[in-house]
Amino acid sequence: MDFWIIFSKLAILLFIAYTSVQTATGHQAWTVLALLIYVCINIAQHTFKNDNLRKCLQGLSIVLSLGSYLFVYPLFCLVLPLSLVELTASFSCKKVILLLISLLPIFYIQEMLRPIYGLTAIFCWMLFCIVSHSKEKWTKNEMQLDGMRRQLEQLTKRLNENTEFIRQSEYTFRLEERNRISQEIHDKIGHSMTGALIQMEAAKRLIDTDKNKAEELLQNAISISKDGIENIRLTLKNLKPPTEQIGVHRLKLLIDDFDAKNLFQTILIHEGNLDVITPIQWKIIHENVTEALTNAMKYSKATQVSVGIKVLNKIIRVEIKDNGIGSGQVTKGLGILGMEERTASVDGTIIIDSSNGFSVTVLLPLTI
Amino acid sequence: MNVLEIQNLTKKFGDFIAVDNMSLSVAEGEIFGFLGTNGAGKSTTINMIAGLLRSNDGTIEILGKNSRFAKMNLGMVPQDLAIYEDMTAFENVKFFAGLYGLRGNLLKERVEEALEFVGLEDKHKSYPKSFSGGMKRRLNIACSIAHRPKLIIMDEPTVGIDPQSRNYILNSVRKLNEMGCTIIYTSHYMEEVEEICTRVAIIDHGKIIAEGTKDQLKSIITNTKDIWIEVRSAEQLNLESVKEIHGVEAVQLEDNVLKINSDTGVNNLNKIIEHLINHQIEIRSCEEKAPNLETVFLTLTGRNLRDH
Repeated sequence: MDFWIIFSKLAILLFIAYTSVQTATGHQAWTVLALLIYVCINIAQHTFKNDNLRKCLQGLSIVLSLGSYLFVYPLFCLVLPLSLVELTASFSCKKVILLLISLLPIFYIQEMLRPIYGLTAIFCWMLFCIVSHSKEKWTKNEMQLDGMRRQLEQLTKRLNENTEFIRQSEYTFRLEERNRISQEIHDKIGHSMTGALIQMEAAKRLIDTDKNKAEELLQNAISISKDGIENIRLTLKNLKPPTEQIGVHRLKLLIDDFDAKNLFQTILIHEGNLDVITPIQWKIIHENVTEALTNAMKYSKATQVSVGIKVLNKIIRVEIKDNGIGSGQVTKGLGILGMEERTASVDGTIIIDSSNGFSVTVLLPLTI
Repeated sequence: MNVLEIQNLTKKFGDFIAVDNMSLSVAEGEIFGFLGTNGAGKSTTINMIAGLLRSNDGTIEILGKNSRFAKMNLGMVPQDLAIYEDMTAFENVKFFAGLYGLRGNLLKERVEEALEFVGLEDKHKSYPKSFSGGMKRRLNIACSIAHRPKLIIMDEPTVGIDPQSRNYILNSVRKLNEMGCTIIYTSHYMEEVEEICTRVAIIDHGKIIAEGTKDQLKSIITNTKDIWIEVRSAEQLNLESVKEIHGVEAVQLEDNVLKINSDTGVNNLNKIIEHLINHQIEIRSCEEKAPNLETVFLTLTGRNLRDH
């Protein structure tokens, strides 16, 4: 902003100097001195940060130009408007007032100079308005940018924190699980193993002296070991949550719910070994099926929707297909984009087809 | 080294997404097949590779360069014939090779070489008007290979032609490949792709839904095949004993047809037949029902390749 104002001041000064040399009237030396002082004051103005000091210097430059106008060279009045505008701008921001103030001296100066003064004043005022307007815009943009930068920083920080949290909780879960396993092993299997061991050692000592007793002890040890093995089996069974039960069971509930609440018939067909589907894949399947069923409910006008899960050799195929009107051309809304994103997160693909009813096919690679 | 590298390629026509965030790479020396129904986005992708269409998003690199600057290394056989009916075969090839900057004796040599390659060496002076569909196709190919490109794209080069020309074209694709060309081949004829391609991408609705060698693609669906053996009578056969043959997963007997489900990775047909002969069982016919690419497509998309 300063650049443009300084530039216009320079232009006016050059104009004054030029006309002064051309006309060669008055006191050339004084004119040069006044010009130089004016330049000094206006340069000094930009080197200070203090607002009051700047205002003083602006005032001084007004006084100087008035003085020069009266005593040295009349054309000095031309630098008046810019200084006036600059000074008043720091008190009021109404543009009309700025214009009035910069035009005010026109009534007091020589009649001959009035038109050129008026022109200069209006030009200066327009320049000032444009420049200050663009400066405002620039500052606003800068502030916006700053705000966004700060926001980004915050988000990055939060993301990092969350990643850390996930890592922490993963670790905690693993610890808890390990704890549980060791507890079970200690409580159930450890005890029976120790019992069996004691019995067997006793039997070893007795084997020469009291064969019958030893046999009885060994029999005991055998049955305790059998119990132990059974316990191991049970513990392991408890350790492994039946993912299939959770996954397909949940899905069945969802589909039954849809079936009951809506006009269309909803059926679930599955084929292949559902055990290989991981919990995260179940989650994605569940969410995608919910989304697709909701869409079918809203738009399809179908009478039947089928959900098919097929576990193939290296891929899981989930198809949600209705017998409705389809959609002609598929446009990707938020719902479909969401399904796409979820599916892509486990390297899967999604096919949307509306050539025959509407169908969403989710292909997830098996991770074994 | 990868001859073609596509990343996140997207093309929209208005609201219609023809190619949807497609990424793939083709290595040197491959015959890479695009398999998909009509309208799956094969031709759109190929037109973008050839620089005929601008993508909305994504990058295409041919031999490490942006595809728009790699045309010298690219030969394109378009789906619609691109030959001039009122120019002779020789002039046609000469015209297209000339576009790639070939001049003088070299140009003449290359044109003759290309015409010989497609078996039109005795038709130099004939006009395509008098050609059969297959000959036109072959001329179309000659036009695109005279400048000896490293990557040749063939967009459905066998549509609407007789079986002989088709075989000729398939053979010349193989020959070009042996000469060091990398080839991208699109078709909705599953048999062709299965026959000549070393690697295949199955495309549907602008997306690659599966990619790999033929065996990899088939193994997505299943790792077993069915062998059906029709016998005169199998009463004296112990089904359990067949199961002991390496690779056999299940055996069933239905109306004198022995249905054996076996691992695709094991070649055990000899052993099975030997086993049957040892038990004095008369074999009437034998049929292997392995999955083909059509089955893969059908299983993955739920639709036939030629529904449309």
